[in-house]
Amino acid sequence: MWDVMMWPILACVLLPGLLVYLGMHVVRRGIIFIDIAMAQMASLGVCFAVMKHMDLDSPLTFWISLGFTLLAAALFAFTGKRNGEVPQEAIIGIAYVVAAATSVILLSQSTEGDEQIKNMLIGNILLVTKEEIFRTLGLFVGVGVFHWFLRKRFMLLSFAPAQAAASGMRVKLWDFLFYATFGLVVTSFVQIVGVLLVFTYLIVPAVCGVLTAQRFGVRLAIGVVLSLIGGVTGLMISFYKDLPSGAAIVCVFGVLLVLAGLVSLFVRPKPPPSPSA
Amino acid sequence: MKHSIPMLLTVLAAFTGTARAKLSVVTTLADYAALAREIGGDHVDITSMAKPTEDPHFVDARPSFVVKLRSADILIEGGAELEVGWLPPLLQTARNPKLEAGAVGRVQAAEGIRLLDVPATLSRAAGDVHASGNPHFMVDPIIAKAVAAHIARAFAAADPANAASYATNEKKFEATIDAKLQDWGRALLPFRGQHLAAYHDDWLYFARRFGFDVDVFLEPKPGVPPSPSHLAEVIGKIKAEKIKAIIVEPYHNRKIAEKVASSTGAHVVEAAQYPDGLPNTATYVELIDVLVTRLTTALKN
Repeated sequence: MWDVMMWPILACVLLPGLLVYLGMHVVRRGIIFIDIAMAQMASLGVCFAVMKHMDLDSPLTFWISLGFTLLAAALFAFTGKRNGEVPQEAIIGIAYVVAAATSVILLSQSTEGDEQIKNMLIGNILLVTKEEIFRTLGLFVGVGVFHWFLRKRFMLLSFAPAQAAASGMRVKLWDFLFYATFGLVVTSFVQIVGVLLVFTYLIVPAVCGVLTAQRFGVRLAIGVVLSLIGGVTGLMISFYKDLPSGAAIVCVFGVLLVLAGLVSLFVRPKPPPSPSA
Repeated sequence: MKHSIPMLLTVLAAFTGTARAKLSVVTTLADYAALAREIGGDHVDITSMAKPTEDPHFVDARPSFVVKLRSADILIEGGAELEVGWLPPLLQTARNPKLEAGAVGRVQAAEGIRLLDVPATLSRAAGDVHASGNPHFMVDPIIAKAVAAHIARAFAAADPANAASYATNEKKFEATIDAKLQDWGRALLPFRGQHLAAYHDDWLYFARRFGFDVDVFLEPKPGVPPSPSHLAEVIGKIKAEKIKAIIVEPYHNRKIAEKVASSTGAHVVEAAQYPDGLPNTATYVELIDVLVTRLTTALKN
């Protein structure tokens, strides 16, 4: 077991912490599908590079893909208005479908077979390599340190946007920095574990934390612990039942969320009924 | 009671003895597994990674694949870039020196086979990602014979004790194919020279062997849904060439084929490239039998 599952388990232990933290922001901001939109923009970048006959693993392809991710970050930062009748989630959804459709069109025009592109974009946790884990860990530590030093501003931005705007900080610039680092994390994680797992690691632990605790630190701790339990349990089940690894992990997270929901019935005081309802 | 333990040990030794003697063979696709079964008989233990109804270009890796690859003596793959999207990372994870490129245990079926549709230039701009040619060669029974011989040689090299058995089985397979080729050829003879349509460009070796011309493809590129203008062009060609059959496989979009069929009067022929991809096709010969029957039925109409 160990010799096959060591690197996947290590990946599930070392990497998701940062995603759980970012997931707290994403859930709070109510922009649930931003990761998928970002990943789709990055893959649109790859399709574009392929159209221009660049090799899939050339550095230029990587930079183009990164460029598209930053473009998406800018788009979300500058269109992200917190009031009005168009929710930001609508912009995100539109960015996703347009990017996905553009990829389909680009690939239909390219003469390359697209199986390699698909395989490159959608990783499989079972096949993660040592190099991928440490490369990604390096990036995550970098982004993590960045977020640690600037945590006060990012927290204000996500959790008290009105106060952030009133404090005179340059909201759009800081939003851009948030989305840019977020995009970097998501696109590199997608390449080693696939879209389903990225979404799961971002959203499920954060929601479990919100359901069962009040303070941010406690929520984060609950999320991180659950992400470890979910990842390792899912990999074990995948090994002993011989199931696709990513899908097994996602289903375990589904069960964890139900459990957290049940726990929330007992531990969390009900919020007072809102008068407007 | 006293002699029960030594006896138990003898029994155990006998079991582990036979278990060790069996060659552990992993194949990427079900067609190689079917041939390996013909050649290896009881001396080999065979696992096919892709299911016969799974698209060979995209196969979902499962933990058991890595486990099997790790302890395998022999890996049989196409070797012509068909499995390029999913096999290399599996091998990298399994790290089995017996299966390294060039090792006795690594059987690349395409080796020594003259592939069709090899792109003239290798520049990426020129196109085809299958740089070594069209990799769907196993549905040509004569090529299958060559691959069977290749497999028999590899088994003999890895397990010399049973070399005679592998050689006998290979001769038997060859004789069966030679006899069957007469039947298949006779059944398809009336339709020689006809044009056929297919969802994906993977019937050219079959077509060459039996005198067909498969030259209309429903998908412009693997995985890319046909555009309306492409479909219109396909329908026009099918009408102009009076094509009577559209070949689809389990992992293709049947709806598109049915749409084209309903507006042209051609028949959708459900086919498979892999044994067990259709009912009652457990062996290679049974598969070709069923393909020939289905095709003649569709073309007679």
